[in-house]
Amino acid sequence: MAIAQARNVDPALIQRTLAQHKPQIRFTLAVCAHCSMCAHSCFLYESRREPKYMPSHKMIHSIGYLFRKKGNVGLQELHSIGNIVWNRCVLCMRCYCPLGVDIPYMIGLARRICREQGVYRLYDEG
Amino acid sequence: MYAFVSGPLALIAFIVFVLGLGIQVFRFFGMTREKEPLNISFPKPRQKDVDALRPPEGVSKKVRLKGTVLGMEPFLAIVTTLFHLLLILTPILLLAHNLMIERAWGISPPSLTEGVTDVLTVAVMGFCLFFFLRRIVSARVRALSTAYDFLLLLLVFLPFLTGFIAYHQLFAYKTVILAHVLAGELMLICIPFTKLVHMIFFFLYRFLLPGEYSFASGSRVWR
Amino acid sequence: MIKVKRKPFQEIVEAIQRYPTVLSVGCGGCASVCLGGGQKEVRLLNEELREYFLQQGQEKQFTEYTVERACNMDYVRELDELVPKKTVVLVMACAAGTQLIAERFPDTPVFPSVNTVAIGVDRDIGLYEERCRACGDCVVGYSGGICPITRCAKGLFNGPCGGTNQGMCEVDDAIPCAWQEIYERLKRQDRLQDVMKIRPPMEWRNQIQRTVVQAGYEERYMQEE
Repeated sequence: MAIAQARNVDPALIQRTLAQHKPQIRFTLAVCAHCSMCAHSCFLYESRREPKYMPSHKMIHSIGYLFRKKGNVGLQELHSIGNIVWNRCVLCMRCYCPLGVDIPYMIGLARRICREQGVYRLYDEG
Repeated sequence: MYAFVSGPLALIAFIVFVLGLGIQVFRFFGMTREKEPLNISFPKPRQKDVDALRPPEGVSKKVRLKGTVLGMEPFLAIVTTLFHLLLILTPILLLAHNLMIERAWGISPPSLTEGVTDVLTVAVMGFCLFFFLRRIVSARVRALSTAYDFLLLLLVFLPFLTGFIAYHQLFAYKTVILAHVLAGELMLICIPFTKLVHMIFFFLYRFLLPGEYSFASGSRVWR
Repeated sequence: MIKVKRKPFQEIVEAIQRYPTVLSVGCGGCASVCLGGGQKEVRLLNEELREYFLQQGQEKQFTEYTVERACNMDYVRELDELVPKKTVVLVMACAAGTQLIAERFPDTPVFPSVNTVAIGVDRDIGLYEERCRACGDCVVGYSGGICPITRCAKGLFNGPCGGTNQGMCEVDDAIPCAWQEIYERLKRQDRLQDVMKIRPPMEWRNQIQRTVVQAGYEERYMQEE
């Protein structure tokens, strides 16, 4: 499914949004035990059985990536993050984590950062 | 050397452990706030409406656990619960540890027999091995794993391994017991500052934050 | 989003009574979000039905699948391989999704296992409030952001009836009077003149605002006997 292309990336804006949620993002990434128990809670993982559909994987490679890179990402990276959070996740809000990490919130944050950069899901193209 | 490691250094390790956890708890409360009380008015559900929706008692009783983690992945759920319980209980109920505490502070915590704790130690080591293998063999866990995960697993495994070897006096007792104390201290100081902090965050997150799987109705939200 | 709630168990049982195989379809959209029809609910329903029929001496085959959204044929198409002959499909999506699935499989009986209750907002886990009746002619701008159709029991367009009692509706005293709230909201914004223009009534049925307390969460909000 198509993701809109941004013209350029504004790292300062990404950094600002990240900073607003820095404690929660940092705690989340630190507490995630990489246990993969969230896998079975995602119906997309259940039907496709590919690790890249695991909620933790999606979270780590979207908001986790943005956070680790401190917002300094290029167009390509932003587009592939957009692909993760819109084409591999529907935000059905049902992923569970034994440690209580709020994964949907993290995906939602990644979507917000993408949207602020002009990257978003297109519903009128194939 | 041993005197220092099992005396002042141990004290430092415990202080760092307790203070570190305390700091993390404090930070959690600083980053969250009280949830606003729900200020809406609506007709409350009645028991008979609820009952009409549910299947007969005999059915719901049998099926209740199916949607939970215990229903979906029973083996893993049981293994991880046992692992965590034993991880914490074994050192606390260990006779050798409690004898040292009695000698140092005069109090006598309860202990299990040495035979039992020996078996429990082997069990913990077995679980560690299971998790290590799982991280290599299972594709979905492999996809998430980094060197950090393996290192931390080793960090948890070492105190139990060295303790077992030392207790059975298999070889080089003096070195092994030193390694055991150091490994235990290292693990303690690492807990508040690595993903092992899920030790308390499990409880903080699952009891205090609202969510589908929270154990209470969740009184705090992120700022 | 759309809020759904599972139908009474007996109703679902009757729907699938005479079919040997059942496919339960979940929806990863609205139904999932309101905890009414996602993967977990589909699994649980299948398990309950399987157990129920086993206890009745009948063994039925149950399969499940959750689509991203049942309201789009691109996703409904994923079910093509899963709908064999002599099966009944139970859909845990809103009626819109249920009907799309029925359209895709016109030779297969398709039943909803949830009721589509409302377009609403999330108040808390398992607690959702209806806010919209999809009348197609939204006037909430003029009524201070409070829908008179949804939230007024009589759907009045031009002010309260005479039955407002201490700010509550005469139809049910647990329901706030929408017009009291509209008045207060507009007064706060200094816009009372917006409701001084007479508006022609909407051709709409009267119902008090519904609140959905999701199955399994009633304990939190139970009426004290």
